[in-house]
Amino acid sequence: MNGWSGDIRSYRLSSLVTVCIAAAGFVLQYIAQGQGVGMLSWPFNALFLAVFAAFIVLLGAGFRTNGFVLWLGGIPFGLSLIFAIAFLSLLGGVIPQGISSGSILSERLGLSRIFSGWPFSLVVFFFLCNLGLSVVWKIIPFRLANLQFMLFHGGFWIALASGLAGASDLQRVIIPVYEGHENSRAYIPQENRIVQLPFSVYLDDFSIEEYAPQIVLYDPDNDRVMQGEVTGGTEVSKGYRAVWPGFAVTVQDYLPHALPDSSGIPRPAEGEKGIPYAKIRITSGGKSIERWLNTGSPFIKPGVVQLDRFYLVMFPGSPKVFRSGVVLSGSSGRRIAELEVNKPVTYEGWKLYQMGYDEKAGRWSQLSLIEAVSDPWLPAVYCGFFMIMAGNAMFFWKGMKRERV
Amino acid sequence: MTLTDFPVFAFSAIACWATGSLLQILVRRYPAVRYPSYAVMLAGTAFIVWFIVSYWITLERPPLRTLGETRLWYAALIPAVGFLVEYRWKIGWLKYYCMVLAAFFLGINLAHPDVFDKALMPALQSVWFIPHVVVYLVGYVLLAASSAAAWHNIYSGFRSKTELLGYSLSHYLALLGFVLLTFGLVFGALWAKEAWGHYWTWDPKETWAFISWLAYLGYLHLSANGTGRNKLQWYLALSFLVLLVCWFGVNYMPSAQNSVHSYQPD
Repeated sequence: MNGWSGDIRSYRLSSLVTVCIAAAGFVLQYIAQGQGVGMLSWPFNALFLAVFAAFIVLLGAGFRTNGFVLWLGGIPFGLSLIFAIAFLSLLGGVIPQGISSGSILSERLGLSRIFSGWPFSLVVFFFLCNLGLSVVWKIIPFRLANLQFMLFHGGFWIALASGLAGASDLQRVIIPVYEGHENSRAYIPQENRIVQLPFSVYLDDFSIEEYAPQIVLYDPDNDRVMQGEVTGGTEVSKGYRAVWPGFAVTVQDYLPHALPDSSGIPRPAEGEKGIPYAKIRITSGGKSIERWLNTGSPFIKPGVVQLDRFYLVMFPGSPKVFRSGVVLSGSSGRRIAELEVNKPVTYEGWKLYQMGYDEKAGRWSQLSLIEAVSDPWLPAVYCGFFMIMAGNAMFFWKGMKRERV
Repeated sequence: MTLTDFPVFAFSAIACWATGSLLQILVRRYPAVRYPSYAVMLAGTAFIVWFIVSYWITLERPPLRTLGETRLWYAALIPAVGFLVEYRWKIGWLKYYCMVLAAFFLGINLAHPDVFDKALMPALQSVWFIPHVVVYLVGYVLLAASSAAAWHNIYSGFRSKTELLGYSLSHYLALLGFVLLTFGLVFGALWAKEAWGHYWTWDPKETWAFISWLAYLGYLHLSANGTGRNKLQWYLALSFLVLLVCWFGVNYMPSAQNSVHSYQPD
């Protein structure tokens, strides 16, 4: 180790320089009137990254005995930058991001957009220098014993650098499409702009499956719901029993999909159209009555039971699955696909996600919101992630292998 | 099994841990008590495991969605780490801290009972759900144990009774905990790409997980660069507070309004 690193002087210098970097970032941010850092897009970001990487390799390999370079790639400076990143992230983790706070100073300092601002960018830039130098020193000369270090630190560098450099090439758009309609235009929420896509999406069918409904007691005066103590079964079905102070409710019959007939009596109906109906017996002080509850829909009034100033209501369950059956058409031909949350589909370099629907209409929504994402830098970022995981697994193995702590 | 049965299991577990610990005091005079005392302590953990398994079956989904549900896992796993450390490295004191911590988590659940709710929102229905949460769970458990070991070392330091073994213990627990935090973070990123379209969006929980990860990254570099042992114990003991914010505190932050990580029932 060189005299610069490791000792208290090096820590002091590193902390001072790091504070100056962050402060310079805030000054720049203030001068830039709160505007974020303008990022280069393809191919200039790739070019910049290549030149930056080459510069670090040359600096690390060519000047490895130089005191300044040793300090730049040393642990004390690295630690100071880690703490600076942690501090800036802390600001970003406490102050709501992406929402204007209304304070002019906070806006000019970019406090509600910390992660795209100058202080964060500058600190991360120096962090990449520091991390990059440390990796170069472990790679040259190559020793297998350093593999874990190379994978973890190198992977982190690749993931961080390509994630940041590629941010400007990332496209995230939302395609709203109605059942029976086709759409090839999407909007970008952050920029409030509409773009034309190289393909179109036709929505054949949108459907939602729900969890079992819930029977609760509604207090309209205080606008709150009270859950009963469930003493039979775990969800609303025949035999379910719940108790509230003063009375008990037992489900006599349960129809998950039903519609009323001409005389108002619920009859089982086709899955898509029907709504949950429950025949309940309310018992209080030896007396009991029977009533039907239903969750209601845009076409049917909810069936509730009034008990003094309270109402016994049946809430529809939360969505379990929602999916869109779509037909995608583009230069590569037509493709039938099913989109579901957590099950995106890749088409012509875009990843398509089931994002949302008309929540007011719920199960009867005719609208499906599909997100399309294009991220050409993803393979590089994933390469970094897998290197990190490989290095991490080796680190774990070394830690576990110790016979004695 | 529903939550109405929870108090019985929680109190049984706490009673077992307490009885087993008290029996340990007698071990020096009556060595025959040794094995029964371990059996009783293990039985305490077995009660919690029993509850988790049957609750899982009733819920028809892994009980890993709400904070209350994850606390059940901590209550089972933290003492398990204490017992494993004793089994492998013959360090007996850690298990007491672990049992106290576990009893504390059960206490929170007793004071604030969860609502029985089978629903698992579509975003959570993923192959990543269990690996992401379990890796974090175990990571937090190890770091909680590391912090307990660090407090113990600080306390021993005040009494001028420092043990080399104690320092190594807090270090290795932190190291293993860090490894699991890293896996949790990367698994989370891979999952987020599949569920929300991007691997990193600075969601408040993500940001805090990143800060906690940086805190332990800082620890490993301080330790590698030869920082004094006592300072490192303070660092480890206090780093856990950052983790606690990430774990429970984030939901109360002004920044958490739109977090994809709030799965608490309303």
